[in-house]
Amino acid sequence: MKNSSLLISLLLSGLLTIVSCSPNDSKTPSTDQPDPVNVGIVLPLTGKHAKFGEIEKLSFELALEKVNAEGGINGRPLKLIFEDTTGKPDIGRSAAEKLITQNEVVMLGGGYSSSVTAAIAGVAINKGFPFLVNTGSADIITEPTAHTPSGKKIDRLKKSNKSDDITTKIAELTKKAEKEAESILSRYAIFRLNPPVSEYANGIESFLAQVVKPQTAVILNENSLFGTKGAASFQKTCARLGVRVLLKESYDQGAIDFKPILAKVKDLDPDIVYMSSYVLDASLLMKQSMELGLNPKMFIGGGAGFTLPEFYTAAGKAAEKVISATLWHQSIPFPGAMEYYDDFAKRYNRETEYHGAEAYAATFVIADALRRAKSFSPEEIRDALLKTDMETIFGPVKFISYGAKVHQNRLPTYVVQWIDGKLTMIWPENLAKQKYVYPVNWPEERK
Amino acid sequence: MKKHTFGIVIAGILAVAPLLIDNDYYLHLMILALMWVVIGSAWNLLAGYTGQVSFGDAAFFGTGAYTAGLLHDHLGWSPWWGLLFGPITAIMVAVPFGWICFRLRGAYFALATLALNEVMRHTATIMDGFTSGMAGVMILQSFTSKIPYYYIALALAILSVVCVMAVMGHRSGYYFLSIREDQDAAESLGIDTHFYKMISLAIAAGLTGVAGALYMNYMGFIDPEVVFSLHDISIMAILVGIVGGVGTIYGPAIGAFVMVLAQELFRTGGFGVITSLAESTGNASMITIANNMTQAHTLGFGILVVLVIRFMPNGIAGDWEMLVKAVTKKR
Repeated sequence: MKNSSLLISLLLSGLLTIVSCSPNDSKTPSTDQPDPVNVGIVLPLTGKHAKFGEIEKLSFELALEKVNAEGGINGRPLKLIFEDTTGKPDIGRSAAEKLITQNEVVMLGGGYSSSVTAAIAGVAINKGFPFLVNTGSADIITEPTAHTPSGKKIDRLKKSNKSDDITTKIAELTKKAEKEAESILSRYAIFRLNPPVSEYANGIESFLAQVVKPQTAVILNENSLFGTKGAASFQKTCARLGVRVLLKESYDQGAIDFKPILAKVKDLDPDIVYMSSYVLDASLLMKQSMELGLNPKMFIGGGAGFTLPEFYTAAGKAAEKVISATLWHQSIPFPGAMEYYDDFAKRYNRETEYHGAEAYAATFVIADALRRAKSFSPEEIRDALLKTDMETIFGPVKFISYGAKVHQNRLPTYVVQWIDGKLTMIWPENLAKQKYVYPVNWPEERK
Repeated sequence: MKKHTFGIVIAGILAVAPLLIDNDYYLHLMILALMWVVIGSAWNLLAGYTGQVSFGDAAFFGTGAYTAGLLHDHLGWSPWWGLLFGPITAIMVAVPFGWICFRLRGAYFALATLALNEVMRHTATIMDGFTSGMAGVMILQSFTSKIPYYYIALALAILSVVCVMAVMGHRSGYYFLSIREDQDAAESLGIDTHFYKMISLAIAAGLTGVAGALYMNYMGFIDPEVVFSLHDISIMAILVGIVGGVGTIYGPAIGAFVMVLAQELFRTGGFGVITSLAESTGNASMITIANNMTQAHTLGFGILVVLVIRFMPNGIAGDWEMLVKAVTKKR
């Protein structure tokens, strides 16, 4: 009984601290250093997306050192405050609210998975708070008109596949949607550094058209916002290329046994297999394809898991010669790209890839905007971001409007291939370091 | 009157709270906690009072949320209509389910609810022409301030507690208890146990559906993984009930606040207090504690639940007197 009462009082005292502690009363101690400029970064540091969150956090920190070595924000150091979203929208929202009200950050950055980013976008829209998205890729995040009733009607009309004249109707509805979104457009302060998911496969499209020239395809995807959207946009790519899609199948998040699906794929014998997956499922898919002796002309990954170093470590030989869409590669001749890659490898003793590059570039975009902003009010920061025109390791950054999108940075996408355990840039050809390996003799590769 | 004093005082404090706490972050946590009061009370009515343990509350929660979202998406109605239609559709899911599955007892019924949860999640994922599937439903929030959401959530929380209280004071409440204690004995006394279990389920589903509609309106974004989540909704509902006190009126309400605050406390390292302490003192061991605490937040949360179940099997409300004794006892 003695023990239990001790435990209970411990528990209670713990609970009391929640109630009694008013957070942040102990602000940075007064020193000679000027106050830092705080920016909040929301990332999944634990949970199923922790691997991506980690690589981004390390890159943010690496870039932060550079920014502060260059003099920070007009003499004041930049400070990044990281908050864990745990990969859940409501927690992500808690994190964003905490950063804005408790830590009094001047703007938000980060945002990994699409659903969490969408939930945080809600906060940002509501408050007109600047939020630079660097990974969340769902198209809707930079499409303010898509949230309105007319915007949703357009979406449904497009999906309905009616061949009769819908273009005039869409134009009409677009005008209506713009009017409905007027109130939020004036304070829409969400910007996106990375291309949206619908554009991920653009690089792959030209590679397929000019090199592989497939007739048939199978599309596999994880049941998530990213996975389904990636698969849907690749289906459109197939339609444009005249490739017949034999099967489009999705699997649950966290699935580990893909043999039933892959056996079906083997029977269909497609020219290419396209997969829109995260990291664990990506490596399992490749391993089990190897075990089943599935040999299409090409295995194609739709970014995300397929470019992480962990993918090759987990899948081993099964990953060899697999190609993937990517948004970045260190060998692309953008200023500082290779330097970042080397610095990262030296500092953390591991490799980095496009998610890290996004985070690294985002830090410089944030710093650049804050330096130019007349004050740190949301409106001024928004204006400064709108005028962004700079070179980063992720490519030139300029936020423009096209189609239904606003504040979107427009970049090409590339194709990489795992050649002898190295992720090698192979497409577009003028940027490629090494010639692509095609056709591939899979049994030979997997010996 | 005396036995309601506690509830009235708490409700009074909560009603004036936004005037004192002018802070969006705390209000956000309070709104989440109040939403969990509704879900916890509903779960408690079915599991705590009627003895029908449910592992599938997310099925009703998600149905309510999707009703609100899809009314807006397809018909252009305000998503606030979800507060009215959300519970109706949730009950429409619950009634046929209950009619079939209340033939099962104990663990078998619990498994059936688990299945319902998964069925609903898959349905919402697969029917993507209707529900937009994994792309989710996104709406714009109606209010920029948190205050309206807070009072709506508070009203719903009070409604749910009062509703459970009223039901349990009514004759059907006694029927629920008798079903929990011994279903065969209740049957032999002439109670239509199947019917009354359905009533209990319908009330629980309706309340959970309201909470779902509130979630849609407040969060602005839902997808099947979020609102039909077994782990984040169904299991959390059970934890709220167990930690607060199964089969008590105020238990789930207490449990909701404890769980939401504890989760946030562990995630942020004591609302950032430990992290800022670590930074200002520069103490190496403090920094380690801060890092480990935030990284192992799920573990800390889990240990809390284990401790409560081990030392307070009746929950905080159920073992309140023991708790008070343990604290005030002078040695």
